[in-house]
Amino acid sequence: MPIVELKHVRKVYDTKVAVADLSLSIEPGTMFGLLGPNGSGKTSTIRMIIGITVPDSGTVSLFGNPFVRSILGRVGYLPEERGLYKKMNVLDQLIFMGRLHYLSASLAEHRARSWAERLLITEALPKKTEDLSKGMQQKIQFIATLLHDPDLIIMDEPFSGLDPVNASLLMDTLLELRREGKAVMFSTHRMDQVEKLCDQIALIHRGHLILSGSMSEIKSSYPRNRVHITFEGGDGFLRNPAIESLKQFPGMAEIKLRPSPNLADDAQSLLANALQYARVTRFEVTEPTLEEIFIENVQGTSPDKVSLELAGDPLPEPEGSFLDA
Amino acid sequence: MPRMGSVSMRNVWIIAHREYIERVRTRGFLITTIMIPLIIGSFAFGSIFLGSKASPDVHIAVVSSDTQLALDLQTELQREQQQKIDAAAEADTSPRPEKAPSHIIVDAIDPGPNTRAELDQDLGSGDIDGYLWINPAPAPGGRPTFTFTPRSSSERSVRPLLASAMHAVLIREQLTHRGIVASDAETMMQPVEINASTASNHDDHTSAEISVSVLFFVMYLVIMLYGMNVARSIIEEKTSRIFEVMLATIRPEAMMAGKILGVGAVGLTQVGIWLAAALTLAGASVAVHLGGDTFHISLTLAQVFFFFVYFILGYLFYASIAAALGAMTNSEQELQQLNMFLVLPLLFCFVMLGTLISNPDGTLSRVLALVPPFTPLMMYFRVSLGQPKAWEIILSLVLTSASIIAIVWVTSRIYRIGVLMYGKRPSIPEVLRWLKYS
Repeated sequence: MPIVELKHVRKVYDTKVAVADLSLSIEPGTMFGLLGPNGSGKTSTIRMIIGITVPDSGTVSLFGNPFVRSILGRVGYLPEERGLYKKMNVLDQLIFMGRLHYLSASLAEHRARSWAERLLITEALPKKTEDLSKGMQQKIQFIATLLHDPDLIIMDEPFSGLDPVNASLLMDTLLELRREGKAVMFSTHRMDQVEKLCDQIALIHRGHLILSGSMSEIKSSYPRNRVHITFEGGDGFLRNPAIESLKQFPGMAEIKLRPSPNLADDAQSLLANALQYARVTRFEVTEPTLEEIFIENVQGTSPDKVSLELAGDPLPEPEGSFLDA
Repeated sequence: MPRMGSVSMRNVWIIAHREYIERVRTRGFLITTIMIPLIIGSFAFGSIFLGSKASPDVHIAVVSSDTQLALDLQTELQREQQQKIDAAAEADTSPRPEKAPSHIIVDAIDPGPNTRAELDQDLGSGDIDGYLWINPAPAPGGRPTFTFTPRSSSERSVRPLLASAMHAVLIREQLTHRGIVASDAETMMQPVEINASTASNHDDHTSAEISVSVLFFVMYLVIMLYGMNVARSIIEEKTSRIFEVMLATIRPEAMMAGKILGVGAVGLTQVGIWLAAALTLAGASVAVHLGGDTFHISLTLAQVFFFFVYFILGYLFYASIAAALGAMTNSEQELQQLNMFLVLPLLFCFVMLGTLISNPDGTLSRVLALVPPFTPLMMYFRVSLGQPKAWEIILSLVLTSASIIAIVWVTSRIYRIGVLMYGKRPSIPEVLRWLKYS
């Protein structure tokens, strides 16, 4: 039974189509990434999932049933911008949030304290929210989301504005929650975060679903036509005819190979070629990154046209030029 | 657990409780608790003080070719002053105020060619506070005409004094003129004393009037202040996105109800503190003496009871409107443009205070007091100082309660959608569409 299921959901604000015919589902124990550039409809989608807004058409089901507000007790939601009372004491605030979720004050306090310990932020509890740094506020908000032990955790841009240490602390926490069998959904416009974390993704652009499925499915549907090479020495090999385009950095290059039935052989001969010019310390043949996949899907067509063509097709075939014949 | 209910009272309570605690703890609460009585005090007493303060120095010139007339007027004025002092002393058993009550210095002047110019100069320099120019009667037995030129508008309080003294002088003169012995004339001229009816349950009408007016002002101010507080805190929560977290947790109706009740409880606490302080002062029989009048806090239990009843209704009425305004706007500036919906009806009540005082049971007062936006302030005033019929009180309570329910219904719909509209202020047609939508 999917924890979240959207079917042909559509939401229009005045004249702007925020979400157009979006369908997706999230299974328990998955880490689901909702990806898209700013303004693509991520937040609108999330708001419909948690019933802050109602879709104009289509259905939202949570835990196998059509949405009812009473189910929100099993959902934890972290908004994109911080929703904390600035002047309020942090611990009081957490207890307040916990009580709204039907915890007793003492249980709420107990959980707040143990979460604070886990996230290394105990010293913030007696302070006022406005005296905390942005990152600390984010952690407090994070705790507020998890206090009532929700089965579905929905986070809108949870890692934005966090330093790498704290970001990875929160990522680890999310991974632990997933291991406990909870469904975690988060949105981000930073594709690199998703590659490491997510089992499932949905890529949306201008309210339309461009791509969705499991991370491995999506990746494997793309040819391994990318070569990442780190080297010391001459770069003459970069003129190899098998190379379609490349990004060159000092001692490094990201190469896209020309479409060919024998990509693996092309890669090997490129490696041989490179060894003639330089000492190769790293040579990796891989699929395009999510970001590249996204850009390829969106580019070259007017965005609205892309949306219309791809809408309703959760796994569009990549462009022909990249396919093995 | 009342999770499935339409609006969980538990959540309303949690929200209200937070709102209350957080607000009462602030320095702002302490400051307004102290400052507002001071402001009201200076409003209420300031005018009375101003009226009586100038008293010891009121210096008036009477210009008349009839010297006797000017002197009679002088005597009469001084006598009236003395009577007033005696009356005050009689009515007041508490210690005498230190400050002597007002008295008027009167100069009698013969008009000369330059008198008016000289007097105007004295007036300009502040040597005199006004002059009364008496033009002799055009025919014997006729009445002279009077022109009073005061220094400033604040000296106008002297005019009725002058008029009454002049009246007395003229009558006495006429009586003497018609052959009535001076002592008889004096007897006839004795002022009539009317004992205040004890049927009314307040012993001192002026004190009651002032006390009720002060409460009227308190109600006006607190409803306005806390109504705006509701709107402001909604805007603040919108901009800080707390709303989103809350809406993902509880129903917007619970959120709105909790906020209105919590903020209202703060207002109630504040008013309670003021009243308790005022009644303690009254209990210690600390009276405020103003000029020759004594003012003490004079409130009956019924007046206090109805104050709270109408205060709560008025607050709920206006706070619900304010909640809708807050939900529709995104910033304090936008709120400023809409807050006339809140301020105008309240201000209207305030403007009508004069009508209410002079005739609390007149048709206009009776009708207006039944119109829900005006009921809380006006009906409270009528209940306290007029004689409204029981059915009028009940009808006012029913009408106001019904309109509060209607407003809350509309507001909660506006609220639900409005709180999530970021970025731009909705137009009126949009608001109407929201109402249909939700």
